[in-house]
Amino acid sequence: MTEAQASMATPEVAERVVPDVAALEQEGEIAADYLEGLLDIADLDGDIDMDVEGDRAMVSVVGIEGGDLVGPHGEVLEALQELTRLAVHRQTGERSRLMLDVAGYRERRRAELTKLGTEVAEEVRRSGEPKPLQPMTPFERKVVHDAVAAAGLQSESEGEEPERYVVVLPV
Amino acid sequence: MLEEALEHLVKGIVEHPGDVRVHARRIRSGRVLEVRVHPDDLGKVIGRGGRTAKALRTVVGALAGGRYVRVDLLDLTEAR
Repeated sequence: MTEAQASMATPEVAERVVPDVAALEQEGEIAADYLEGLLDIADLDGDIDMDVEGDRAMVSVVGIEGGDLVGPHGEVLEALQELTRLAVHRQTGERSRLMLDVAGYRERRRAELTKLGTEVAEEVRRSGEPKPLQPMTPFERKVVHDAVAAAGLQSESEGEEPERYVVVLPV
Repeated sequence: MLEEALEHLVKGIVEHPGDVRVHARRIRSGRVLEVRVHPDDLGKVIGRGGRTAKALRTVVGALAGGRYVRVDLLDLTEAR
């Protein structure tokens, strides 16, 4: 890391507040009620797990059978997450960064994309050429950025949603 | 089931859940779900750049199992 990056990183760390776990748990409760209501109406089985990961509430619909709440490229999952965040916002008045998962989809994507980010970082290190990847959702891009950074390279996002994509940069 | 699911999704995100009405109609190409909300909530269910409306349509489409369902968002005072 260069000195410039180090000095830029410091204020962000200093400003970061300790996550309010009680507030995040409350977010999870509101989200669980909203989702459970939907599962009941749609007659879908499934349980809801709640957790706090770092500074986010994490809510997972597990054991679900039938009804595709993930959708192609996770687009139904993203839509449901968006609505769930709004439902939380309506009750708490605070913008929510809650993360929703359905049937372990995000966990699987995270593993796949971490592998991809690591492999592409190696390829770019060898070739010395920047490499653009396929368009991805914000969640997916973050996973790739993290994997590339862990491999010691840098990456950036280009293009406009929903066609925004990661470019892995050579050193 | 779709009407009820849509009503639940919308009621959870608006300031006036008691004013949410969902009405289903048939059209030749499928179904239309008309959602009426309090005038102050219309912006909320549409969202910035139509983002929330799109999310509602995506989830309803998934619950409909791929059958075509149109979702119209209106304010309560609008005549149809």
